[in-house]
Amino acid sequence: MKKTVLIIIGLIVLGIAPLVVRSPFFVHLMIMVLMWTVLGASWNILGGYAGQVSFGHATFLGAGAYTTMILYLSCGVDPWYGIFIGGIVAVLISLPIGFICFRLRGPYFSLSTLAVAEIVRLVALNWESLTAGPVGLLITTLPQVSFFGKAINWESKVPFYYIIAIITLIALIITYIVSRTRVGAYLLALREDIDSAESIGINTVKARVVALALSAFLAGIAGGFYAMYLRYVDPDAVFSIGLSVEMLFIAVVGGLATVGGPLIGAIVLVTLGESFREHFLSGHLIFYGFFMMLAIRYMPDGVWGRINTLFKKLRLKKDVNHGTA
Amino acid sequence: METLVQSLVSGILTGSLYAMIGVGLTIIFGVMRIINMAHGDMVMLGMYSSFWALTLWNIDPFVSIVFWVPVAFLIGMLTYRFLLKKIVPAGELNTLLYTAGLSLFVSNLALLVWTGDYRTIKLDYAVMPLRPFGIAVPIPLAIAFGMAILITALLYWFLVKTDTGRAIRATSQEPMAAALMGVNAAQMEMLTFGLGTALACGAGVLLAPSLYLYPTVGEILVAKCFVIVVLGGLGSVQGAIAGGLLLGVVESLGAVYVSVPYKDAIGFVIFLLVLLFRPSGLFGVGKS
Repeated sequence: MKKTVLIIIGLIVLGIAPLVVRSPFFVHLMIMVLMWTVLGASWNILGGYAGQVSFGHATFLGAGAYTTMILYLSCGVDPWYGIFIGGIVAVLISLPIGFICFRLRGPYFSLSTLAVAEIVRLVALNWESLTAGPVGLLITTLPQVSFFGKAINWESKVPFYYIIAIITLIALIITYIVSRTRVGAYLLALREDIDSAESIGINTVKARVVALALSAFLAGIAGGFYAMYLRYVDPDAVFSIGLSVEMLFIAVVGGLATVGGPLIGAIVLVTLGESFREHFLSGHLIFYGFFMMLAIRYMPDGVWGRINTLFKKLRLKKDVNHGTA
Repeated sequence: METLVQSLVSGILTGSLYAMIGVGLTIIFGVMRIINMAHGDMVMLGMYSSFWALTLWNIDPFVSIVFWVPVAFLIGMLTYRFLLKKIVPAGELNTLLYTAGLSLFVSNLALLVWTGDYRTIKLDYAVMPLRPFGIAVPIPLAIAFGMAILITALLYWFLVKTDTGRAIRATSQEPMAAALMGVNAAQMEMLTFGLGTALACGAGVLLAPSLYLYPTVGEILVAKCFVIVVLGGLGSVQGAIAGGLLLGVVESLGAVYVSVPYKDAIGFVIFLLVLLFRPSGLFGVGKS
């Protein structure tokens, strides 16, 4: 009951925030927080629930970003559909990657995803006829779209805010569904002990492929959005190891295998990061690294996990007090 | 024919330094099961140490290595004692994530302090390459090659012949049994992390005159390092040496006969193939 109220309040805040606070920096900050929530949630499905720590999620982000960009620039496909197709392309790319990397376990899986991501980045850097290489792709205008008869002003950040807010909701709902259904239980089982999971008849390959596909789809969509929002992509901006690591950090700091974790992680890290970006470029990564070390050392369950345990303790105390009274 | 010999030679020269870095990573993994994502950043710090020693105090890199290696050894031991020790029991994935955090922290701190400018070290005696038998050999790389072999051989001697070295290898093979034989595992771990860091940093000092310096250079180096140690078998010192030389040669042949832009990709493709088909390394000696 309490939860529903909280969620409704959250939705209302999400809906009216850009109308109340009109500072462009703040709107930009919220867009970044939401985008990183999607990316963190995407990583969390594979890395948190299934326990497959990927160091190569930038591949899917990049695939989505480039697909959306190339479709718009050379075929004139609207980014609306482009973003969605970007997600599909990311899923298609994820299948052979899963085929290769899922043969490996634990840290070996992580290293193999790192290698795949580097190969993909090098291909994107050198396949100049498709990606324009290190020069990158740039768009100057976005298509005319009207909403209730009013043309959308792409120069303002507010429409982007609502688009990413919807994508974020979809990402969180997908995570919730995963956590509540059989697939989620399979994933948790194989995370804890893959051999036992197999021996009780779980098709762990299938379960991991499903997790990877969902994860890639979300990362691809976020990538498409990223490309449209920045209006520029180049291989180092969307395929770098750094991006994969940032996604991982947001999920870990927020709380692995929780629905709200990535949101908390993104709020904490991105807010800190963006406020420091003003003063020095890439200074935010210093904090990311620092928080990562703190999180692994002092709260391996992440911020969300820690809050949950604190709440449980409080509730327990209350119950005990009632009992004695 | 000449191009073949030329690329073989430059491959082996670079490979010797790769081997030195790889040995550092592999002994750390062997003893503590840490996949050290920050290893490349230790190399980066070594490169910058060498650069600053030359610019500020006018000390040649091949001289300054004499004091940078012990400094790195101490820093490595302190890093282990105060940052990593509590994390190691939590498992390989946690240390992997933790060192990834450390790596990001160190490289971006360097980016903040030293900016992202590309720097180079210019040595007066290094302008013209040596030309034995018509093959160009850059002088700094040749000296670095000699020193890398010397240091790696010293380490190898230490591991094989001394009591402490034996204790380290014992801990790597069977920690429980080693502890029962009276080996102080905690001490060995600290020592090994110090040694690994010293090797990485030393290789960085030696590499500095031959490569561009920039704060995120560690990212690509650490990826290469994983290729090397997986090629040779994780945890195996001989394997890492062979893997390092092999990667150096493959890269330099690839740059000539395949394509320059894809030379880094070749290493990763081999890496994936080895992981898939021979997870204990080409020589089958590693731990899987």
